[in-house]
Amino acid sequence: MTSGKHYSFIFIVLIILVISLFILDILFGSVSIKASEVIKAIFSSSGNNIETIILKFRVPKAVTALVVGAALSLSGLQMQTIFRNPIAGPDVLGVSSGASLGVAFVILGFSASISPDSINGVGNWILVIASWIGAGFIMVLIMFISSRVKDIMTILILGIMISSGISAIVIILQYFSNETMLKAYVIWTMGSLGNLTSGQLNVLLISVMAGTLLSLASVKMLNALQLGENYGASIGLNVRLSRVVIFSCTSILAGSVTAFCGPIGFIGIAVPHISRIIFKTSDHKILVPGTILAGGAVMIACDIISQLPGSETVLPVNAVTSLIGIPVVIWVILRNRKFSGTF
Amino acid sequence: MIGNQNNILSVIGLEIGYVSGRTGNALLPPLYAHAGKGELIAVIGRNGIGKSTLLRTIAGLQQSLGGEILFRDKSIRGYSRLEMAKEVGYISTEIVKVSNMSVYDLVSLGRYPYTNWIGKIDAENHNLITEAIKSTSMSGFSERFISELSDGERQRAMIARLIAQDTEIMVMDEPTAFLDIGSKYEILHLMSRLAHNNDKTILYSTHDMHMAISMSDRIWLIIDNHLVEGSPEDLMIAGMFDHLFDSSPVRFNSDDGTFDFSILKKGSIFLEGDGIKKHWTEKAINRAGYTVSKKRTIPCIRVPDEKDKFYILQTNKSEYKFSAIYDLIRFLSKNDLLTS
Repeated sequence: MTSGKHYSFIFIVLIILVISLFILDILFGSVSIKASEVIKAIFSSSGNNIETIILKFRVPKAVTALVVGAALSLSGLQMQTIFRNPIAGPDVLGVSSGASLGVAFVILGFSASISPDSINGVGNWILVIASWIGAGFIMVLIMFISSRVKDIMTILILGIMISSGISAIVIILQYFSNETMLKAYVIWTMGSLGNLTSGQLNVLLISVMAGTLLSLASVKMLNALQLGENYGASIGLNVRLSRVVIFSCTSILAGSVTAFCGPIGFIGIAVPHISRIIFKTSDHKILVPGTILAGGAVMIACDIISQLPGSETVLPVNAVTSLIGIPVVIWVILRNRKFSGTF
Repeated sequence: MIGNQNNILSVIGLEIGYVSGRTGNALLPPLYAHAGKGELIAVIGRNGIGKSTLLRTIAGLQQSLGGEILFRDKSIRGYSRLEMAKEVGYISTEIVKVSNMSVYDLVSLGRYPYTNWIGKIDAENHNLITEAIKSTSMSGFSERFISELSDGERQRAMIARLIAQDTEIMVMDEPTAFLDIGSKYEILHLMSRLAHNNDKTILYSTHDMHMAISMSDRIWLIIDNHLVEGSPEDLMIAGMFDHLFDSSPVRFNSDDGTFDFSILKKGSIFLEGDGIKKHWTEKAINRAGYTVSKKRTIPCIRVPDEKDKFYILQTNKSEYKFSAIYDLIRFLSKNDLLTS
C-alpha cells in the first residue's frame, strides 16, 4: 500500500527503457543506416530500399521481439506460480517442446496443404492451434506429475525427460516424412524473430493479446494460487477453474511464440525472477504487467545484441537469450538450496 | 453428551474418507458432533485416525462420503467455494513459502472472498487488514517478508490472515505443531482470545492432551469407532481418555490430566514433609516406579525442612541420607530391597 509510488516509478522507468530499446533495435541492423534516414523512412514514403528495410524488416522484427519477450516471460511467471516452482518455465518443463510437437505434426504430417511457401492466413491458425494443443497437453502432464512429486528438482528432471521423449517422437516423424516436409520443418526449428510474414505477425499479435488479457484477468487467482491448493481453496479460489484459465493462457502464450519463432530458451524462466527482484513483491497485480515490460525489454535487448551492432554478422537470437538467461537460472538454483522450496 | 443449544456447527452422521474409483473408503463410522458460538474446541485422536480428514471436510476442502454438515442449522451442501470461504477459514501445518510476500500481502489474501475481480484492496479492506495484523501483535512486521519470519511469527501471520477472512468458524489443523514452547502458548493464548473475546468458533486438532484439556471449552475425542464430545472434565470423569491408550504402556492420569508410563510398580513409600520439595519428590519416586502410600509405613522418606537439609530414606533395615533428589532416585532404582 505504502509503496504504490515506488511501483509507479519503476513502471515509468521500465516503459522508457522498452521504448528506448525499441528505437535502438530499429536503428541497428546488419546494414548500417543513419538515424536521420531511419526517421525519414518512417515518416515519409519515399519507397526506396532503406524504407523497405526499416518498415518491412526492422519494425516488424522489433515488434516481434517485444511480443515474444512479453509472452514467454508471462507464461513463465504463470507456470512458476501455478506449479509453485522457481525453475518452471515453458522451455525447461517441456511446454515449448510440446508446442513444437504440435507444429511437427502439422508441418510433417499435413504439409501437402501447408508448405512453407504457401503458409497463408488459415495455415497460420492451424499451426498456432496445433501448437497450443501441444503446449496444453504438456501442461496437463506436468500438473499430473507435480500432484504426485513435490520435489522441484525431480520435476525438472522429468521435464527434461518429457522434452527428450518429444524430440524422439519428432525424429520418428522426420524419418517418415518426405524431403520438402523435412526442409520446411528444419527451417522452422532454426526459428528467429525476423522470418515472420505479416500474416504470421498478425496471428501472433492477436494470440498474444488474447493471452495477455486473460492473464490480466487472472491476477487474483494467481495471487491465491501462491498459497497452494489447500489455502487457495480455503479463501474461496475455484482451483479447477483457475487451472483451466491459467493453463489455457500459458499454452496460448508459449504455444503462439513457439509456432512462429521456434523454441527460444531461458526468457520464460529468467525474466519473472528479474521482475521479482526489481519489484520485490509477490502481488501479481504488479508482477504481471512488470514481467510483460521486463520481458519485452530483455528480448529486444537480446535482439540488439544478436545484431552485433557495428558488424554485418547476425547471431542466432536463441544463443543470446540462453547466455543471458542461464546465469539468472543458476543464481535461482543456488539461492534455492538455502531456502528450499521458496520461489 | 451435550444438549443442543445454539450450535453454529453441527456434524450429522458425517462420513469422511477418500474416494477411490467409484467407491468411498470411509475412515470411520458416521460421526456426530457440535460446536457452539465462541467455543474453543480441541479435536483429539491417535495419529492417522482421521482428524485432518474431518477438519478438511468441515472446511470444505474435501468431499464428504455421506451425512451432513450444518452451519447455523443450514446444510452446506451446494455451497460454492466462495460461500464456504465466508463461513469457514482454514490453516494447517503446511508452510507457505513464497518469496517476496510481505505479511501485509499474506493477510490481504484473507480478503479474497470480498474483493473485486482483480483483488483491489480499498480503504475499507486496508483497515480490516491492518486491524487483523494489529490483533495478532504483528504490526511491526507488516512489511517483512514471510520467508524471514520465525515459525511462531509466521503462524501469527497465518492467523491474522484467518482473522481478515472474517469467518465465524476457524479450522486449524495442528496450529502449534513445530512451534517452540513459548510460541506455542502465545498462539494458544491468541486462539483462546479469538474464541472468548471475538466470538469465533475455533476447531483445532492437537496431540498435546495437557494443553487441550486445560484450554478447550469442548473436546471432540475420536476413538476407534466413534466420536465423543463434551467438556474436558466430563470426558475425564467418564474415563474416555483411557481409550486413547488401550494398547500402549502410557496411562492417562485422570486426577490431573497428565500422563503416566505404566512402569512396573515396585511398591509404595510414605512421604513426610510439605511444600514444593514434597511435590517434586513425589514426581521423582513415581518416575522410579514407586507410588506414595497414604498411610504412615516403612519405607518412608522425609524431605528436607528447616532443621534438616537431607532427604532421609528410612527402611526396615537402616536409614540413608541424600543431599539431592538425584542421589535418592539413583539409590531407589538400584535397590529393590525396599519391597518386602
